[in-house]
Amino acid sequence: MSLIEVNGLNSYYGDSHILFDVAMHVERHEVVALLGRNGAGKSTTLKSLMGVVTPRSGSVKFDGIDIAGRRSHRIAQAGMQLVHEERRIFGSLSVEENIVLAGFTAPKRWPLDRIYEMFPRLKERRNNRGTELSGGEQQMLAIARALVRDPKIVLLDEPFEGLAPVIVHDLVKACRELAAAGQTIVLVEQNLAATLALASRIYIINNGHIVHEGPAQELKAQPELLQRYLGV
Amino acid sequence: MISWPNLVSQLFNGLALGALLALISSGLTIIYGTLGVLNLAHGAMFMIGGYAGFVAYQYTESFILAVIAGSLFVMLLGVAMERVIIRHFYHRPHEDQLLVTFGLGICFVEIIRLIFSSQSQLVPPPAIFQGITNLGFMFYPTYRLAVVGIVAIALGALFIILYRTRLGMIVRAGIEDSVMVDSLGINVYRVFMVVFGIGAMAAGFAGIVNAPVVSLTPGIGDDILVQTFVVVVIGGVGSFPGAILGGLIAGEIISVTSMFNPGYAYVMLFAAMTLVLVVRPHGLLGVQGRE
Amino acid sequence: MLKQRPFLIETLTAIGLIVAPFVLPHLGFAPNTVNRILVWGLFGLGFDILFGFTGLLSFGQSAFYGTGGFVAAYLLTRAGFGNVLGALIIGMIAAAATGYLIGLIALRRTGIYFAMITVAIAEVFFFVEFNPLSDFTGGENGLPGVPTPSFNLGFTTVHFTNGWSLYQFIALCYFIGVIIALRIVRSPVGAIFSAIRDNPLRATAVGHNIHGYKLTAFVIAAAYAGFAGGLLGVLQAFMPPDAFTFDTSGQLVMQTAIGGRGTLFGPLVGATVWLFLQDFLQSALGLGAAWKLVLGVVFVLLVCFLRGGIIGGLADLYRLLSGRRKRSDAEAEPDTETTLHLAPAPMQAKEVAHPAYSGPVLKATGLTKRYGGLVANSDIDFSVNQGELRGIIGPNGAGKSTFFKMLTCEIAPTSGQIVFEGRDITGLKVTEVCQLGLTKSYQVNQLFTGLTVRQNLTIAALAELRGKFRLDLFRKLSSVKGLTEQVEHTLALVNLTRRADTPVAELAYGEKRRLEIGLALATSPRLLLLDEPLAGMSPRERVETVKLLKSIARGRTMIIIDHDMDSLFELVERVTVLQEGKVLLDGTPEEIRTNAAVQEAYLGGVHGEIAA
Repeated sequence: MSLIEVNGLNSYYGDSHILFDVAMHVERHEVVALLGRNGAGKSTTLKSLMGVVTPRSGSVKFDGIDIAGRRSHRIAQAGMQLVHEERRIFGSLSVEENIVLAGFTAPKRWPLDRIYEMFPRLKERRNNRGTELSGGEQQMLAIARALVRDPKIVLLDEPFEGLAPVIVHDLVKACRELAAAGQTIVLVEQNLAATLALASRIYIINNGHIVHEGPAQELKAQPELLQRYLGV
Repeated sequence: MISWPNLVSQLFNGLALGALLALISSGLTIIYGTLGVLNLAHGAMFMIGGYAGFVAYQYTESFILAVIAGSLFVMLLGVAMERVIIRHFYHRPHEDQLLVTFGLGICFVEIIRLIFSSQSQLVPPPAIFQGITNLGFMFYPTYRLAVVGIVAIALGALFIILYRTRLGMIVRAGIEDSVMVDSLGINVYRVFMVVFGIGAMAAGFAGIVNAPVVSLTPGIGDDILVQTFVVVVIGGVGSFPGAILGGLIAGEIISVTSMFNPGYAYVMLFAAMTLVLVVRPHGLLGVQGRE
Repeated sequence: MLKQRPFLIETLTAIGLIVAPFVLPHLGFAPNTVNRILVWGLFGLGFDILFGFTGLLSFGQSAFYGTGGFVAAYLLTRAGFGNVLGALIIGMIAAAATGYLIGLIALRRTGIYFAMITVAIAEVFFFVEFNPLSDFTGGENGLPGVPTPSFNLGFTTVHFTNGWSLYQFIALCYFIGVIIALRIVRSPVGAIFSAIRDNPLRATAVGHNIHGYKLTAFVIAAAYAGFAGGLLGVLQAFMPPDAFTFDTSGQLVMQTAIGGRGTLFGPLVGATVWLFLQDFLQSALGLGAAWKLVLGVVFVLLVCFLRGGIIGGLADLYRLLSGRRKRSDAEAEPDTETTLHLAPAPMQAKEVAHPAYSGPVLKATGLTKRYGGLVANSDIDFSVNQGELRGIIGPNGAGKSTFFKMLTCEIAPTSGQIVFEGRDITGLKVTEVCQLGLTKSYQVNQLFTGLTVRQNLTIAALAELRGKFRLDLFRKLSSVKGLTEQVEHTLALVNLTRRADTPVAELAYGEKRRLEIGLALATSPRLLLLDEPLAGMSPRERVETVKLLKSIARGRTMIIIDHDMDSLFELVERVTVLQEGKVLLDGTPEEIRTNAAVQEAYLGGVHGEIAA
């Protein structure tokens, strides 16, 4: 049984139709990437899985149960975490408070030490408030906040956007370690190099429709596919 | 002619009133900050707190039990109000939220009027705080001094709840971004309910503590509500420190002006509010963007 | 809602007022009660313009009610002023002037802040009346001995004393009040009031000075309140100090919400219900003081379940019973429509002669925007020529939206300069820029959702035809020169003519999207910016919208942001690529397509990775 199985998913913003009959699946311990141009519906897909956007129709089976239409705290308690594109750090809370808060309702939690081992920078800045962090630190904190809940799956929405190459490098490394440890990840990213370095399987979404599915290797061999859906 | 003892005693009055206003306004402001709903029935919560304490006192003859029972009652009332009515207004326009809470406030006042009539009721201060204290340079009613202390303790407790507990952490996070709180597995609607209860309780607690200073009437909350508004406009909506600062400023303005001419107390209060609106439209400690 | 046949509402009101004295006594209404209802109704006419039409909920109307009332009563009882009507009018003017000053302060903020400030202000007035001014106002005793009006007509003197006699005078005042309110609501200013209620952001963006209009609504409400306050004194032969209380403001708000906001007659209906229930519950049912609780509960229930109040509920019921068939006809329409005649432009785009200036329409130099440490746009040079169709693309986070917001002056650049048709517009407000002929359509629809398609476009067109602020309160909307043509022209342009009288809420998404563009077009911009016009559309809608944009483009200069490259490249002549807040490249679609740097920007170094 797949960890996530999505069928016929339709989502809207207000009355603007964003996702059209999206179908996809994610296996356990797999890193899947969702590619597409701006506005293609990548973020909306992740938000629909997490329940931040309530899908209007379709089913989302997560670990065997249908979670479509549930409120997002229920979905989070079932073991899913979304790292938002905007990171959404609580600026008035300290780094450590951000992490601790995230773990409150988790059935099983990462110890803080393990988080700090993964992101030593956060340990240095644990008493700083969220507003005092740099973009890269905020991203680390956003990921840490998801990991502390020991989720079955993490959805990463553009985690490398707007960050300096050095930081991207660090974050990619951290994600690789996670993947190696068996963490299931769905990644949405514009940075193709980083994506192809991480993901084993790729979906391409265009104007709200899934238009391609296949192993990442295959995509490297077919630049024309990239050109068609992602290029100019 | 102003005499020094007179001025000092007015400053004390201002402190007592200011502390009280700070407590009530904190309740209003954390509710607004978290839920985005301005509770026009907040004055009624203050009033009901006084009456609940009064009833509890009648039965127990213990001031402390009256305070506890009254606060708990108002908290439960707040929780019920959120569950039954306010919850359905989160996605409706601000005007509707204002209208419904305004209407609820009227209902509460009229229910109390029906039960207790419009006559004023008296709650005596607890025995240990009765009488007058000699401060060396002047005499001052002991209970009023005690009010400052009690309210300061309550504000301290609220501070600890907000800044030193799990719940407080969630509330502060919720004021910033309630959707994200929900995404982290915390049922944000339950948080809203608790916050509403705590906010109401702050007003109710203030109502009981204030009861021995004044006489209880069903309309007692109306004036307080207006003063509370001035406090949060001055301090900045959604800011706990702002509510405290604004409360103290408002309390002193009212008291000191009253020394010269009570009729101008509101004029001065209003002038201060206007000044803040012109100089810092978002309040002294408010954050831009929350409207 | 308030159009139909000319003078229909006026006539019905007149008939109602004439018939009332013959009917109401049989229903148990005493003349004095009816008079009070009319005073509340008159008070509420102004308040409804403020709350129901403009969307500003004030809890401080008692300030103006009391001010008008006490000024009039003072003139009549203490100052030896003999003319009752004159005193009422002076009271009204005093209230309006007070309203202007208070409005300047209260309207600095919106929403709940506005409500809180008005409450505080009203409370100040109450205390001022009681204390500092008690020599003039009688303090808690009020002002007794207010005379009733009499008019010397030469051959006879008409004296309105009390009861139904006084009713004639008050009814006449109410009738005149209704006529004036109807004129205001049907004037261009009235249309803009509704726009402010529905979407203040867009009302500003199409070029209206909404602060001025809000202040206008506030003063109108204060004037009505002042006159009604004066009438209260006349009615009771005594000006009561409780006119100034918060309860007065609260009662007005509740009556308006009970009767139905945005209907003008809601407050009258609400007052009728209120005063009737008060009498009925107190005397007939012997509920005593509980009457107010019952009213409170009724009010809460109405707010919860019947947002439009009694009149709104009746209107819904009427629509439900009579309009069902009509509506299903309307719903069948869009399907047939979308497939037909989009191709030929129904009308040539309006040419706006602009003789003196030649050169680039828009020229931005060194445009930079920083948010704290984050640089959203850095040193952008950009220029667009007359009649050009320019596309802007760029990967996520390239700063496209920020760039657009700076061009339309929604946000101010940190540094740099924007010149529109030879004129430096850096630092101007979005309203002024729109008035100059530069506007945009939004990425997320910003429509006036409570109004029809035609009303939406009317509001936008009015900004261009009347300027950003004008007080033509008594002018008919239809007499605004060129308005009908401009609205019809825009309707045709965005192909919504057949949906002109449909409320926005009933439109399909694609239609709303076209209306969004129509709102920008109706201001007759010489430079139109389109922020993701194709966002959220189905493939078929995209094709048709591209056709639509092509037809609009004739004779216009346009800049378009969109992610749909195929559509965009088909549409535009030149493309500017932004990356990381800078201009990466400028060229024809073909050049862009074949440029390696652009591919690199979009594909994020994948080639390097694959090669490695």
